[in-house]
Amino acid sequence: MNKKILFLILVLASVFVLVGCKKDAPLTIWVGTESVEFYEGVIEDYLAAYETANGEAFPHEILVKGADTGSAAATFLEDTEAGPDIFTVAHDNLGKLIAGSSSIAPVTDADLLAQIENDNPDSFKEVIKGVVGGQTYTFGVPYIAQSLVLYYNKEFITTEQVQTWEGILAAAEAANKQALSLTGTDGFNNSFLLLATNAETGQSSLKLYYGGDINNNFASGDDTVSVMKWGQRFFTHENGPKRPTDSGWQIELKDEISLSVISGAWHYNAASAALGSKLGIVKLPTFTITEADAYGSVTAGTVFQSGTFADTKMFVMKKGSKYQEFLQDIVKYLSSKDVQEASYEEVQNLPAYKNAAVEFESMTGNTLEAQLASAQIEMFEHGIPQPFGFDNRFNFYYYSKGAPDLILEILENKSGTETGLFTSFDQIKAQLLIIENIWKTGNKE
Amino acid sequence: MNDRNALKQGVIQKIFSSILKSIKSIGYGIYRSLVRFVLGVKKRFVRFGKRFMDASAVTKVSHFVMGFGQLARKQFVKGFIYLFIQLGFFFILFTSPTVNGTPIGLDALRNFITLGTVEGDVFTPTDNSMLMMLFGVVTLGLIGMFIAGYLSNINSSYHNDLLIRDGKKVLSFKEDLAELLDSRFHMTMLTPAILGIVVFTILPTVFMILIAFTNFDAQHPAGQVLFDWVGFENFKNVFSGQGEVSVRFIPVLSWTLVWAFFATFSNYIAGILLALLINKKTIKLKKLWRTVFILTIAIPQFLSLLAVRSILSEYGPVNNLLMTVGLIDNPISFLGTATNPMTARASVLFINLWVGIPYTMLMTSGILMNIPTDLYEAAQIDGATKRQAFISITIPYIVFVTTPYLITSFVGNITSFNIIFLLTGGGPAVGGGYKAGSTDLLVTWLYKLTIDENEYNMGSVIGIFTFLITATGTLLSYRKSKAYKEEEAFQ
Repeated sequence: MNKKILFLILVLASVFVLVGCKKDAPLTIWVGTESVEFYEGVIEDYLAAYETANGEAFPHEILVKGADTGSAAATFLEDTEAGPDIFTVAHDNLGKLIAGSSSIAPVTDADLLAQIENDNPDSFKEVIKGVVGGQTYTFGVPYIAQSLVLYYNKEFITTEQVQTWEGILAAAEAANKQALSLTGTDGFNNSFLLLATNAETGQSSLKLYYGGDINNNFASGDDTVSVMKWGQRFFTHENGPKRPTDSGWQIELKDEISLSVISGAWHYNAASAALGSKLGIVKLPTFTITEADAYGSVTAGTVFQSGTFADTKMFVMKKGSKYQEFLQDIVKYLSSKDVQEASYEEVQNLPAYKNAAVEFESMTGNTLEAQLASAQIEMFEHGIPQPFGFDNRFNFYYYSKGAPDLILEILENKSGTETGLFTSFDQIKAQLLIIENIWKTGNKE
Repeated sequence: MNDRNALKQGVIQKIFSSILKSIKSIGYGIYRSLVRFVLGVKKRFVRFGKRFMDASAVTKVSHFVMGFGQLARKQFVKGFIYLFIQLGFFFILFTSPTVNGTPIGLDALRNFITLGTVEGDVFTPTDNSMLMMLFGVVTLGLIGMFIAGYLSNINSSYHNDLLIRDGKKVLSFKEDLAELLDSRFHMTMLTPAILGIVVFTILPTVFMILIAFTNFDAQHPAGQVLFDWVGFENFKNVFSGQGEVSVRFIPVLSWTLVWAFFATFSNYIAGILLALLINKKTIKLKKLWRTVFILTIAIPQFLSLLAVRSILSEYGPVNNLLMTVGLIDNPISFLGTATNPMTARASVLFINLWVGIPYTMLMTSGILMNIPTDLYEAAQIDGATKRQAFISITIPYIVFVTTPYLITSFVGNITSFNIIFLLTGGGPAVGGGYKAGSTDLLVTWLYKLTIDENEYNMGSVIGIFTFLITATGTLLSYRKSKAYKEEEAFQ
């Protein structure tokens, strides 16, 4: 090729690269991928409201982008400078976001702080705060609530059977199916057993970073040991839960290989697609301790209610954003009561607003969406918010240092690396002590 | 029995002495390179000094003010470019402008040593240790590039001195440009390429290597908590620490090597057999068969892998078929959820055959068609049977030509991410709650450690080990191969 043409291409390529290097980024908001369209509309409304209130148009472009809320915090932390100005995360990610000197800005606007105080349940108000430099700040603004519920196949499980795991197991046995499909093997999926509470008293001896203290963990109480033993009988039953497979829980539900799945609102569409009109949604069932499971102070016949992490998703703001002065006003609008109600109506986001079940008309119907909302709200009574936002280490130790696998070893009665099979209560307790240690130190020892 | 033991011992001794020899040769190679480097630097310094003494006054000034030699000889554009380089470099070096709140320049060199000292608060940022390290590396790169520009400035001015001494005319800017498009066109085209390699390959590689010597992990997120240099601590932890890396490193490394060996040779042998089969005279529709196998290359690999994953899943077609015909009662997990890790390992090796064979088949077909027929004719005249001709001509020819491919294929399989990540995700999980599963290779484990666990320092250490293994393996095997030793043999 002609050398001059080659040279020209080279120059053009260089110019192209250099021109593309810098462009002023708009004010960017990350929301859940399923809600992008909805929040684009909300932002349009906000811009109109801003213009009405201020007599001039909002001075910057606002871009709404979809992000996986589960990994948004990690993605943001990979490159905070390039990250969004406002984004949504589950509250238990707070610890990693505020580690050291924090990468997100605290809420300082008095109106917004008042809105948070007035609109949210106490349990949420605690977990959106964090300590930086010895001082406690509010970092997140709750706008979505979520808890685990049971999606089940109404054709095989009656409304009576679905109240208890024993009933579900009986239905599965009768149909020669699996009672339950697990969606994963992480710490979220075993929480229905780990966080189970005495149905009568509503209490559990389990302590998980109680009071935000890394040493305040307790998983080896008599009730937890009994629940694990019951769980072991459930998991090792021929028709018991099905570990995640390469096929995926949707296929298993659709092909009627298993009859139920524990999950949250984020899997509603998938469950609905799998089961169609056969889909039923209820709060998580109870289970009863038998002679074989009773340990220490726990007696046979004690009923336990399956537990859940009752979480909130919240908006947070980037520290040092060049749009800092506008962020709190936008977040106040996005998390307002009216937008939360509209969000429920349009994209089935369960509101974090504390009186939603009573005040929001759309939540009182008999639709599947209303059942989903009602089941979640019921589960809130039996759940705790994930207490991992206080410190960077909590989430990491709970989910990523092997504790969920050790719990699964007990439930499946698989030979563990430390203790062998878990046939006796002592072996279960020994494993639970290791788990406690992981929660405290990140290590087994 | 004793003879057999003696033979075994002899073989082991031979292997060990061969490894020792190789290590010795590598050590000697490194020593020779170092000596050559030191002597080279010394020689350049001496030449630099001599040239300075021999140079004209304006060139001598050019040693301190870049472009002076050119400007004095009315090469204004060139002179100003050099001057601009010097001023620009000094501006960056001494004013240390900031990018994302972190300086580049002299301050960056200082920060490169400390990796930050300011622990911010909730309203003000903490020093970003990662950016400081990155900008330190960038500044070192800038210094390197400035030195190159500086030497080029002196060379150019001295070249002008020589032209004037010989009574020739100093080139104008236009003539210089014309030269860049003519006799020095290689420089015009190579400069962006070299800059690209420095910016996009060398600097990031240096940066990644340096991370292995810090405590940059989940407990030290960049911009929130300062991290620091820790020397060889992370390398020590691989072998003596308490964490996952020390426990799982050897098992993962072993499986990586086993995988690479079987994945390479199973594809290689099966591909050759397939090519030989297709090239058999009695086989009809050769082109059709070749096309059919090439089609599997045309489909994006990740699509093929995901399709196979679905086909082999517990409730996929294979299990359904096996259950329908009554061969099994319950579905079998072949991949990431297999109850026996060996099942998953065998499955990935088998699936790898499907995606890998066509490449070897295609290449070997080409080789087979190009073996000179006179070799076979000569063999036939000498009375060789078909089998003898195959063993003495076909196989050596194929092996000779494909040895480099075999080595790159082995290295490629050590870092084969797609197949494991898409088929098993590293699973099935091993007991004890470790992230590294039974089929995890070093690279997929590295991915988990960095992306899922933010253990960047340990990820970097594993990356370095992977590089050392692949680089050493490649160099040793290639240097020992006939393809290297007898390069001319088949030409």
